[in-house]
Amino acid sequence: MAAATGSAAARTAKSCKKYRTVKRHTGIYTYQEPPHSNSDDDIGEEKTESQDPERIFQNIQYQKEIMSNIRCRPWPMRQKLRALRQAKEIVLKYEGRLTRTRGYQAAGAELWRKFVRLAYNFVVIFIPWEMRIKKIESHFGSGVASYFIFLRWLFGINIVLTIMTGAFVVLPELLAGAPFGSTVSKTIPKEHIASAQDLDTIWSLGGYLQYSVLFYGYYGRDRKIGKAGYRLPLAYFLVGMAVFAYSFIILLKKMAKNSRMSLASASDENYTFCWRLFCAWDYLIGNPEAAESKAAAIVNSIREAILEEQEKKKSKNLAVTISLRIIANILVLLSLAGSIYIIYFVVDRSQRLERTKKELTLWEKNEVSVVVSLITMIAPSAFELVAALEMYHPRTTLRFQLARVLVLYLGNLYSLIIALLDKVDSMSVTDSDINNNASNSTAFLATKTLSKDNNLSTTIPDVLFKRNGIDTLEGSRAQGLGVPDSLVNNTVSFNHNTQNPQDQCWETYVGQEMLKLSIIDMIFTVASILLIDFFRGLCVRYLSDCWCWDLESKFPEYGEFKIAENVLHLVYNQGMIWMGAFFSPCLPAFNVLKLIGLMYLRSWAVLTCNVPHQQVFRASRSNNFYLAMLLFMLFLCMLPTIFAIARYKPSLSCGPFSGQEKIYDIVSETIQNDFPTWFNTVITYISSPVVVLPALLLLFMLIYYLQSIARSLKFTNNQLRMKIQTERTEDKKKVVQMAVGQNPGGISDDSILSDLVQNSEGTRIQNLDGNDKRPEQETDISHESSVRSSTPRKNGSVLNFESPVSKGTRIQTISQSVPQTVPDVARPVNATPTTSTSLTPAPSVSSVQKPRNDHITNRYPSVVHGSASELCKTKPYTPVTFKKYTEDVHSEPLFRKSIRQVNPDALGAVAPVFVGRRPYATRYFLVNENESRKKSLRSTSRLQRHFRKDDSGDIIELYPRNVRRYVVRTPHQMYSPHPSEDEEDEEELGRECMNRSHRPRSLSDLRPAPRFYIGERSDGHILMSKDLARVHYKSWDDGFELDLDRPPYAYKKVHLNYPEPRVKPKSKQKLEQSLTESDSISIESSSDPQNSSNDQYIQVIHSKEKYPKPGTKVAKKKSKTSVDLNTSEPNELVCSNV
Amino acid sequence: AYKRFSELLPKEERENACSARVPKSQILTLPELRANPFQHRICHVFSTSDDRDDSMSFEDFLDMLSVFSDSATSDIKSHYAFRIFDFDDDGTLDRKDLEQLVNCLTGQGEESRLSSMEMEQLIQNILEESDIDKDGTINLAEFQHVVSRSPDFASSFKIVL
Repeated sequence: MAAATGSAAARTAKSCKKYRTVKRHTGIYTYQEPPHSNSDDDIGEEKTESQDPERIFQNIQYQKEIMSNIRCRPWPMRQKLRALRQAKEIVLKYEGRLTRTRGYQAAGAELWRKFVRLAYNFVVIFIPWEMRIKKIESHFGSGVASYFIFLRWLFGINIVLTIMTGAFVVLPELLAGAPFGSTVSKTIPKEHIASAQDLDTIWSLGGYLQYSVLFYGYYGRDRKIGKAGYRLPLAYFLVGMAVFAYSFIILLKKMAKNSRMSLASASDENYTFCWRLFCAWDYLIGNPEAAESKAAAIVNSIREAILEEQEKKKSKNLAVTISLRIIANILVLLSLAGSIYIIYFVVDRSQRLERTKKELTLWEKNEVSVVVSLITMIAPSAFELVAALEMYHPRTTLRFQLARVLVLYLGNLYSLIIALLDKVDSMSVTDSDINNNASNSTAFLATKTLSKDNNLSTTIPDVLFKRNGIDTLEGSRAQGLGVPDSLVNNTVSFNHNTQNPQDQCWETYVGQEMLKLSIIDMIFTVASILLIDFFRGLCVRYLSDCWCWDLESKFPEYGEFKIAENVLHLVYNQGMIWMGAFFSPCLPAFNVLKLIGLMYLRSWAVLTCNVPHQQVFRASRSNNFYLAMLLFMLFLCMLPTIFAIARYKPSLSCGPFSGQEKIYDIVSETIQNDFPTWFNTVITYISSPVVVLPALLLLFMLIYYLQSIARSLKFTNNQLRMKIQTERTEDKKKVVQMAVGQNPGGISDDSILSDLVQNSEGTRIQNLDGNDKRPEQETDISHESSVRSSTPRKNGSVLNFESPVSKGTRIQTISQSVPQTVPDVARPVNATPTTSTSLTPAPSVSSVQKPRNDHITNRYPSVVHGSASELCKTKPYTPVTFKKYTEDVHSEPLFRKSIRQVNPDALGAVAPVFVGRRPYATRYFLVNENESRKKSLRSTSRLQRHFRKDDSGDIIELYPRNVRRYVVRTPHQMYSPHPSEDEEDEEELGRECMNRSHRPRSLSDLRPAPRFYIGERSDGHILMSKDLARVHYKSWDDGFELDLDRPPYAYKKVHLNYPEPRVKPKSKQKLEQSLTESDSISIESSSDPQNSSNDQYIQVIHSKEKYPKPGTKVAKKKSKTSVDLNTSEPNELVCSNV
Repeated sequence: AYKRFSELLPKEERENACSARVPKSQILTLPELRANPFQHRICHVFSTSDDRDDSMSFEDFLDMLSVFSDSATSDIKSHYAFRIFDFDDDGTLDRKDLEQLVNCLTGQGEESRLSSMEMEQLIQNILEESDIDKDGTINLAEFQHVVSRSPDFASSFKIVL
């Protein structure tokens, strides 16, 4: 099956197809209806019946959408297939009807899709090592696989680099350049030709290898080669720069992509535990041993997290750890310095050896690279040992370890290159002299002036004496003596002059060293894999049976696959390549080979004899980490090369740049000679300070500007995140409070009951149709309590599941009845300000307050519309509040239009504030309404009016304080609707027989009542304690009164007409009184609740303190005994609550 | 996948592999599932068998692979992950589920198991972090919220045949 080659996605898709064909052939399948059929199909079926082409088209679009999205739905496969088939059938059936072209289009699209899929599958075959990596991934998880993916990526980069150097430098040189042996720089010197083919020489990259395309020295200096006039030196230089440029670009691109991906998923560490648990298991792991180690890693990480949590505040004996850490760091620094010194020493020694000894041993030739490789191998382990001293958190340890290893690698490379450049320096001293000499000599040769100056002849021996440091003194003396002769004879002098510079082609030398290093590094890697991993694995596996301890779990164990260190090694390796690429154009090609070998060897080793590192090293996060290290490495590796290019003079007689003052002169030279003169002038203008300085300035400005933009973006980003966080914490707070309010469930139930009993008592005391109402109330109580007791969980969890359907219906019913209720509610509000202005001594206050109420009510529904929907998504309980909002909205449709306009852009963050205000606003209206009606119904006694004064005053005063305490308040609000709903339901049930027109009325009337007493119940006194209680009694009573009284007003119009005239005068009265006294009360009430709002637990205590004050105040007024009675009752009530 | 699936079947059923059901024990021999601590749960979640023996038809098998494939959206992945973690199939992750989940992860070994105190602490922390509505359980929405924030959930929640 072809799927074996494809990726998982393609595979499943393909297998689907195959499966379908199978199904068609066999015809076994008859799809029965899945138990939970989706509504989409039904809709589809219904829609298809229509004949309207537009509809059909829409339907087809819809079905196509289903087809394209079917993958994203969590249905079982069978259902998916069924839905897909159905949709396809419908599309097929109806698509032809529309237009023929559309059908063709669709068919074409289908074909194209198939082709693309096929092509994709085909392409997958050519992704190198895809299957191998998948296999590793499936055995060892994504962490290990990330190493190989990184390796593959590096491989790709090196391929490109190889192509670049190969196509533009090596191939032209090979094809069109002077053939081997034709020029001096391409011939092996005579004294070396005997040993040029020795393994020994080859090994140290001497002999034939040294004079090959591998190294800089081989390339000719002709400005143009071949018939086409290929400018090899220019190409060489440009390619050398392009290697760096390309690497930079590709790295940055990849990093940007990665960081975009990682930033998309928020990086705040809020869910450490959850991630550790839910996302811990790597489902790719199929190897039992890997699974074991993974499980161990998970356990470790979980334990770690727990310990961290426990010891977050605790600090152990710091002195010991700090001293240990200091010691460890000193050790690390020492070892770093030591390694650097060793490398420097070795390079120096090899130089000395080269000078003094004619014949070098194998060791002496390779000691530099061997030492470097040894250090890179040993030092990380040493660092690991040191890190054990430090007792850091494992993650920190890993980071330290990586940082140290990186520094070590860098130090090694740098000390090596510095030592080499030092050597080059010492060479170039002689070089410069030689240069002097050679230019002179060539000048002589060119002009054929054989005139000999005394000073020249005297200088030359000195030069040669210096230059031939390798040779013995006698030899140099002899040569020095020979040179003056050679100056006479052209050929002799030429031969002689070129012979020595060849040895001192420093670019070749550096390239040689780098290549040597790379080779040795490869050998050591192979050796370490074989020795440390393979043989150890073999030993452990086969000896563990006959050993005295368990080898697999105790000492030797299996070799761990240390992802981080291996990746670092790769980075180091790549750094070497970059460093040496300029001097040895074939280094990338060699690296490609090396990476291929490494890939196979490593994957083999991993599959056979390694276990994954126990350390948690996240693949997703580490990707960019690798890349960052690589970038760092690239930059640092580029520096010495650039330095060498810029600082040192190219060797005289070898390489493409010989004879030039600086390597980069080639560019200016080319521009001068090969381009038209206008271009040259343009270039000179551009490179003049007039242009360069402003350009630089512009760049700086641009950078600064972008930086500031980035900073501001970051700032807004942070702010948004903060906002989300505060919202989340607020949610949590609310939920906590809700839970707290809920937990003392028994108490609250009791309090409700007592409240209700109090209600009925209150009614009895006031003798307001008590007989009629009490039965109903008691039924309510019983219902209420039964509901509460039967569903203790309901308050909390049902909140989530409160069905939107019921919401909708309720809203509908309300909206039906709205014409009835609304004028009532609204009119007093509208009417009062106007009337009160004429009557009351403090009309301004009232008019101010009233509009404010209006305003408040105006505003919150818009908030509701704006924010409730989004709140709904995040907070499961919002549906409930939302429902309340909507209810309120519906109860005040008069305002609604203006509402939308008022502030449609209300932010979600503001919402809680309004949430806090809201119920009071509504309650206020309701109260007004009730009272007004009550007055109309009854002759108002002094007592009752007094209550009303307090009530309204208090309520009005509540607004400011609600604003402050919305956090506290909201839970109750969220909390309250439930019982009220229950009650409503009960109410509705109880009054089914009654006129339908007043059921909604009862809804709106009752709403405040339950809300009140729930407010009381959870924090009995928060609301205006007794005043409120009274209000609530009143309204409660009124509700029933109204219900009883309603039947007369059964018709809406009648109802509308009735209250109007009555409401106005009554609300007037009430308001003026309320305003006069509300001021005094407000001071009390606003101060107390502030305190109480701070914490809900203490509120109970507050309430006690609060009670006497209003009570006395009421007493001071010419209150009657019944007032005292009423005040004392709530006190008792609350006490009982407590 | 078809090949792999039919390999699990006994010889005589090979030809009509599409209609046959593979018993759970056979499914569990897949190397991809063998080491997975949630193998039983995976079988259970993806099985549509009527008699609840967790056997898998080819469709179920495909279903499983498509969920665990690269191209499945993280929504789907998290949805099924939730179902896999929901040990008692009641639609929420409660304390028992979490405990079982931890036990699955840590394995059965004596020393690798968490002590009851650690377990308590761990579950407490997890609930603190993820239980947004504080009802003592983690529901699907909460779970998806948490998991969608994780950078490497999608990369680790997959199976390659």
